[in-house]
Amino acid sequence: MADQQQELARDLGFLEAYTIGLGTMIGAGIFVLPSIAADAAGPASMISFLIGGVVSLLAALSLSELATGMPKAGGSYYYVNRALGGFFGSIVGWGMWGGLMFASAFYMLGFGQYLTYFVPMGATGVAIAALGMAALLVAVNYYGVKETGALQNVIVIALVGLIIVFVAFGVLNVDMSTLRPFNPEGWGAVAATAGTVYVTFIGFEVIATSAEEIKNPSRNLPLSMIAAVVTPTLLYVLVMFVSTGTLSIDLLADSSIPVADVAEEFLGSVGALAMVVGAVLATVSSANASILSAARVNFAMGRDNILTNWLNEVHNRFRTPYRAILATGVFILALIASPVPIGTLAEVASFSYLVTYSLVHVSVMVMRRADPEDYDPAFQIPDVLYPVVPAVGFVASLAILAQMNTVVTLVGITIVGVGVVWYLGYARNQDIKEGLVGEAIAPEPTPATTNGGGDGYRVVVPLANPKTERDLLRFAAASAHAHEDGDAELVAVNVIEVPRQTSLEQDVAFEEERVSRQQELLDQARDIAAELDVGLRTRAIVSHDAGDAILDVVEDEDADHVVLGWRGSRTTREHVLGSTLDPVVERSSCEASLINLASETEPDRVGDVVALVGEGPNAPVTVRRAAEFAAIEDDATLALLNIQAPDADADADASPEERGRDLIERVAAEVSLDVDYDTEVVVGDDVEATALEAVDAYDTVCVGATREGAVSQTLFGSLPETLGERASGTVVMAQGASTSPQSIREAIIERLSR
Amino acid sequence: MPDSFFQRVVVPVANHDDAATTADAVVPYVENSGATVIAVHVIEKAGGAPDKASVEQREQTAEEIFDTVADGFEGVAVTLETELRYGTDVAATIIDAAHEWTASTIVFTPRGGSRWRKLLSGDVTHKLVESSDVPVLVLPDREVSDA
Repeated sequence: MADQQQELARDLGFLEAYTIGLGTMIGAGIFVLPSIAADAAGPASMISFLIGGVVSLLAALSLSELATGMPKAGGSYYYVNRALGGFFGSIVGWGMWGGLMFASAFYMLGFGQYLTYFVPMGATGVAIAALGMAALLVAVNYYGVKETGALQNVIVIALVGLIIVFVAFGVLNVDMSTLRPFNPEGWGAVAATAGTVYVTFIGFEVIATSAEEIKNPSRNLPLSMIAAVVTPTLLYVLVMFVSTGTLSIDLLADSSIPVADVAEEFLGSVGALAMVVGAVLATVSSANASILSAARVNFAMGRDNILTNWLNEVHNRFRTPYRAILATGVFILALIASPVPIGTLAEVASFSYLVTYSLVHVSVMVMRRADPEDYDPAFQIPDVLYPVVPAVGFVASLAILAQMNTVVTLVGITIVGVGVVWYLGYARNQDIKEGLVGEAIAPEPTPATTNGGGDGYRVVVPLANPKTERDLLRFAAASAHAHEDGDAELVAVNVIEVPRQTSLEQDVAFEEERVSRQQELLDQARDIAAELDVGLRTRAIVSHDAGDAILDVVEDEDADHVVLGWRGSRTTREHVLGSTLDPVVERSSCEASLINLASETEPDRVGDVVALVGEGPNAPVTVRRAAEFAAIEDDATLALLNIQAPDADADADASPEERGRDLIERVAAEVSLDVDYDTEVVVGDDVEATALEAVDAYDTVCVGATREGAVSQTLFGSLPETLGERASGTVVMAQGASTSPQSIREAIIERLSR
Repeated sequence: MPDSFFQRVVVPVANHDDAATTADAVVPYVENSGATVIAVHVIEKAGGAPDKASVEQREQTAEEIFDTVADGFEGVAVTLETELRYGTDVAATIIDAAHEWTASTIVFTPRGGSRWRKLLSGDVTHKLVESSDVPVLVLPDREVSDA
């Protein structure tokens, strides 16, 4: 069912994934950057775009492998965190978040610049327009205004069409002499410009972050990513070729709406207007996608406890991650309002993403080497290209980083520094070890004192409380000893229950504590078992549901008997015995004993044992348990007790006492009891009161459970519960093996019918 | 035969609030009737445009919403099923679910929301009422008063 649902969630085919990628790729970059790029490297800046494209292509290959292996929200952040751990995870998470903020601010300023085509305004006006649009986008995403795939496709197709028209007409108009000198600033400037324009290439990451939603990901994911890199690369190179071939470098560098100015030359004002409209659409859609991507990075970081999950609250009404969107939005507005020049915004975004992708390349190699069990990418970098792709990609990313100017490098390193400081100051203390919070049960193999898997009598003992641990093990050992044909053994289990949604920071700190407590508890169990001279294996489990986990162990171990601690009272209205005990008792098919110790603080004394013998189906198992426990201590005694109602009609065949004795003898014979025991029959009207009074003289009381009828009323009748609650001694509730274990369905129905 | 309306009811739940109010409103009608209640939550997909929140994030939220529903039906003798669906059109997805579960009715409580909000985010209630071929029943979400 889960798989099927997962399939239903996949609604992006190749075309959709491709257009999502293109939508972010053909963004502000190509409309704003020509002037900045031309200023920095002249016509040779088209080579810078080519370099950027090649570097992105390498990253796309590595990302495809990681994304198909780990189709999780969060993209690069998630892969790096998984492969390289929280330190680099924090760097990349903050890097991506920061990068997306800087990129969005850059897009929005580009948007403002293109508005000057309609309304002549200065830098302040541009910034105000950018602030207004950014605020609108944040609102749209905060309130979850419906956007449709159709609209997205129209925008992308319109943009691609516009650029193709621009290129087609422009190429005819290129004046080769304007292209000279081709490389006025030298190759160093070309490489540095590659860093500047890299921001136009960060869009394909969006495809990776949507990996969980892509149909047939092994094919569509790499294909759409490669296509979403190659198409814009070609278009960008051509746009630069046309731009630098149409306008002189000086004119281009001075333009704040370069592509429109170029189009004006050969398409007239209609062409210019079309390019302005295209630029507006492009900048808005890029910024929109970036804001949403940032929220996903936040979510993924929260999921790994690198960031507080407070940020990832989904709005009850709007169903949007409103806090994350607001936080990102505030930073974007601040960046727009700050005096940072538009080119620097772009470069810082590039810097962050180059750092990210260099670590992505490392992650591919790490994942391949580590080859964890659950990592099985549907797409793999072809053998001929591995490890060339990640290695070259890593070196190339670093090489571009090294070319970037000092200011950008400082800001970029500051963002990395934020990631490092955050890790050291916050995340490190939150981070829980990989695989720990996993859904799956992770058995901890410990050397078995006896060979597991045999046919020996096996007693499963879930342990939770170090105070009651010894006594529970003692009872369990008694049961094992009674079945000693050489290979009886105990299986001690401790379950760490994790909430379905790993949550608040306090919870996480708590988690580490629980792991060490679990280890202590189980170590101690091993020592106790050695003292008791019984074989013991331990299983440390992390699960969402302790009851389920214990049942799994019972089944997995093919257990004969499960011994559980019990507080002796109804815990809540919903649960008869407790949320963990209920399912185990109801659904386990083996014998079960619930033990309510007389005292948690003092070691338990078995002393004089009494078994309540009635007509119920669990009478034999109750007697057997009592006999087993009485054998623990040398001076312990065993008594079988039956309670009879006083005779209603005087002419019955036998007196109540006689009937009681008969019953006890029958049950004792049934279990072929071969030890000495006392027989006691008590007569009383009120069974509960009589029983309570009668057992007061004993140290340990065994009482049978019954599983007939609706669970709530008669799971154990009211007698065992009353005893558990009120008897002063230790109370053991015994349940026999069930021949037809309740199905989960039955259990659910029964639960609901309470 | 009003009873048969409540044999198999599909209950759409969008968030915690209406999970709680809907459960409260439905309980009196299905109590001790052996009815099957199918709580359906739809994760809205943009069908090409980037979604507002990642699917995984919303799946977590859905789990919590289902927990709220289960709490609401705690102690009531009904068979409770939960179903998570994905679709670009929430109303159509709910109707599909109703068909697949052969539901007798789709039952919910008014969800409120301003006209603006409905205009911008799509009015699921309206679409559901308009296009469902399964009976749709709207229960009051408060005690009936003189209003």
